[in-house]
Amino acid sequence: MPTDRSVLRARIENAAEYVGPLWPLQAFNAANPLVGFEDQPFDRAVQQAEQLFGGQGYPGARVFRQAWENGEIDPDVLARRLAEHGITQRPEVLLDRMERDEGDGEPSMPADHPLNRVMTKWLAAFLDQGQADWAMPSREDGFYAAWRTVAPYDTAVPGIARSSDVPATVAAAFEEVLAGYPEEQWESIFAHHLAALPGWVGFIKWRARRGNTPWQEAYPISLVDYLAVRLTLARRMGHAIAPDRANELPVNGTDRPYLPRIWLRAWEESYRSALLGDLRQAPLSTRNGASTDRPDAQLVFCIDTRSEVIRRHVEAQGHYETHGYAGFFGVPMQHQPYGAEERVKSCPPIVAPKHRIAERPAEQHRDRAERYDGWMRLKAAGTQLLKTLKKNVAAAFGFVEGSGGFFGGAMAARTLLPSGLFRLGKTIRDRLPGPEAFAEPTVDREAVDPNDRDGLPVGLSHEAKVLYAEAAFQLMGWTTFAPLVVFAGHGSQTPNNPYKSSLDCGACAANPGGPNARVLATICNDEAVREDLRERGLDIPDDTVFLAGQHNTTTDEIRLFVDEDDPPVPPGALDRLRQDLRAAQADATAERVETMNATVDSGRPEASIQEAQRRAADWAETRPEWGLAGNAGFVVGPRALTRDLDLDGRCFLHSYDWTMDEDGTALENIMTGPLVVGEWINTQYYFSTVDNAAYGSGSKVTQNVVGKVGVVQGNGGDLMTGLPLQSLMADDETVMHRPLRLLAVIHAPVDRVDAIIERHAILAQLLDHEWLHLTVMAPEPDNAFVRYQPGGTWEAESSIVSSSEAETPVSPGTAL
Amino acid sequence: MSDPPTNREAQHTLHPAKKIEIIVRGEKEAFVRDLLDESQVSGYTIHHNVTGRGAHGFHEGRLLFNDRDSLVMFFAVAGQETIQTLVDGLTPLFEKSSGVMFVSDTSVVRLDKFIQEE
Repeated sequence: MPTDRSVLRARIENAAEYVGPLWPLQAFNAANPLVGFEDQPFDRAVQQAEQLFGGQGYPGARVFRQAWENGEIDPDVLARRLAEHGITQRPEVLLDRMERDEGDGEPSMPADHPLNRVMTKWLAAFLDQGQADWAMPSREDGFYAAWRTVAPYDTAVPGIARSSDVPATVAAAFEEVLAGYPEEQWESIFAHHLAALPGWVGFIKWRARRGNTPWQEAYPISLVDYLAVRLTLARRMGHAIAPDRANELPVNGTDRPYLPRIWLRAWEESYRSALLGDLRQAPLSTRNGASTDRPDAQLVFCIDTRSEVIRRHVEAQGHYETHGYAGFFGVPMQHQPYGAEERVKSCPPIVAPKHRIAERPAEQHRDRAERYDGWMRLKAAGTQLLKTLKKNVAAAFGFVEGSGGFFGGAMAARTLLPSGLFRLGKTIRDRLPGPEAFAEPTVDREAVDPNDRDGLPVGLSHEAKVLYAEAAFQLMGWTTFAPLVVFAGHGSQTPNNPYKSSLDCGACAANPGGPNARVLATICNDEAVREDLRERGLDIPDDTVFLAGQHNTTTDEIRLFVDEDDPPVPPGALDRLRQDLRAAQADATAERVETMNATVDSGRPEASIQEAQRRAADWAETRPEWGLAGNAGFVVGPRALTRDLDLDGRCFLHSYDWTMDEDGTALENIMTGPLVVGEWINTQYYFSTVDNAAYGSGSKVTQNVVGKVGVVQGNGGDLMTGLPLQSLMADDETVMHRPLRLLAVIHAPVDRVDAIIERHAILAQLLDHEWLHLTVMAPEPDNAFVRYQPGGTWEAESSIVSSSEAETPVSPGTAL
Repeated sequence: MSDPPTNREAQHTLHPAKKIEIIVRGEKEAFVRDLLDESQVSGYTIHHNVTGRGAHGFHEGRLLFNDRDSLVMFFAVAGQETIQTLVDGLTPLFEKSSGVMFVSDTSVVRLDKFIQEE
């Protein structure tokens, strides 16, 4: 590689740090859109990002006013925070002032800029992943070469009569456009042009580096290609190669007192005080709060905030214990669903899959599988025929004439009778059970296929099985096992929704978590695994049976994956559990539909379930569920801490028992894994809310899917990067998601937490730069709260602890 | 043991070469791989989950649920021209991302395995 090219690559790599990766719609992972700025303190980072993307970094006056009027901001806290900056005006006056001061942030180059228009046209054509019937030619040669082929036909670009009018290679293109610009200026040029289209650039970043998809293999594209095309176009179209001085990357923001910053801190402190006040009431009668008596069943849910609601209602039904664990159940796997060609990653975005789990028909259910396969072949043939009839030039007109009545009827049914459709779908599924009724995961290790493109082994070795089972119980701090243990993954149910995957499990790379739950349950039922676990001090009683299930977060139904012909638990126990789960569903949906502008008959328990089911089937429903809207807290500790609390679906809950984790390994894995993913989710909701145009994706009503990879607003432009308005706002005026930075509360000794932060630069960075807040509930001697301060010191939570305790910085391990 | 024949003795000679060690954060692994691949390095070894302290703090490896934030270490052997290309690619990278590159003298048994025509 010539030297200049390696320098060029590195400069592009650096410039691309400012733009976060964007996953395709099928795997819409939550991520901080400002991830490239996390090496900066939050306040400075949002100012820099505003300069680059034109997005606001703090909530607007309208959002603060709502919080203020709802009593979510403690007046005393706000007054104190304002006084620290010498501000004594009344809050209402300040809100008015903030409103007046608000400007419309504009990116340095708006999406409808002529250069952006041409770029987005060709990017959409090149990056299409199966939506277009007529694909862009020459894509196999890469983006630059393909664009060069079609450029002479683009009337929006002057001066290109034939391909040879533009440089033949990427290297020659850069040589031409960068002539006269010293290397010191390259990064600023590249960052300016990458940040002009953060959606498409983020997607290219994902596809080129993380995707490893067949599309990328067939039609390669990189940011080098993108910039070669863009800079060549800029030159031909008479636009500046280098940004104006005013738009160059800011080196430093300002530290001036800034009203929204003060208000946000006051709001966060108010939330923190209320949450810690509640946690303080927890009946931690023993040192760790762990229960020693044996419940009828233990149910393990994802740490997802939606689990908090259903867990409360499950526990209320009987002698049940619930736990929180990362929803991929600790199994870093790639999943190949039954009958599917494609494989999907089913573990968090920060973890690489290490096993491939395919689904095969269980020996005893081969007949069911054959019946299912027969129907699926018929369906595939029908779909293919329909596609041909719709798209064949000769057949299309006659087809529309002949089939209009049928499709019109189907459309009317979908629109007018969504609840009926939900029931119809359920009846069909009951008659023709899906793969979950006859397929089983390939948990046992099989040979690696040398021709396999990713080379992942199918199944798990015995050692890996033991490791994942042990990790699960160690991280959750288990000593007692009920006769029945259910691992419940979660997934959503919503038709006609490009954002479906954003409602699935974030810990499973935006896929449903049921398959991971099945793998862990199968592992834990393996006698050889239990034998090894016993040697390691984890004694699972012989009568304990592990089941897998899936929590439908749209309807709150919890389906158990059980072989109905040969249930592994007594039918009575299973029936009782199912009845209780149904009752919990009614209670949970009743709580949730209230927040969705729905009116249901509160005297009829089934009414709320039916409303939730309608949302799950209605193709016109823009808000099937709230997803993780409202998320603000992340509690790591025993369930005893939160069991008596209604946390309003706003907290991630990870089970943890500090007394079972002497060396801190379990906590280290929680803090570097699930907590980091929680921060990604929280920041995505935060920025999508504070500036939906820059960091969200606008209204679903005006969105269009492009190339099967993302959505645009209207008929073109940049890919939208974040969450839609309907996932964040109750109506045009009212926010449902309160944009607060995530508060982690960890029940563990301070020195243990401190040592973990010391060992992990990523945690220290997030905390020191205030992308994440942390309070520790120090179990000894008296569960006092201590807050992490940027820079690594700890301060007693003065508003929570008794007034006699001093509010002075303390060192870890002293007087706590 | 009797002495081996003289012609084999000549084949068993060690050849001087340059060893490269590069340590970067896990998320930069793909960048360095691309750089090595395109720099005509004949092969390299990667250690994942490396633990260490740098200017940006400590990075603990061996994490169960995070492959992104621990360090990765590359080993390779190359000629001077290739090394210069790597230096040119990594110098700008290290302005923004944490990482180090070491080049040291080493000896290899089969020089032709490592050094291709440059």
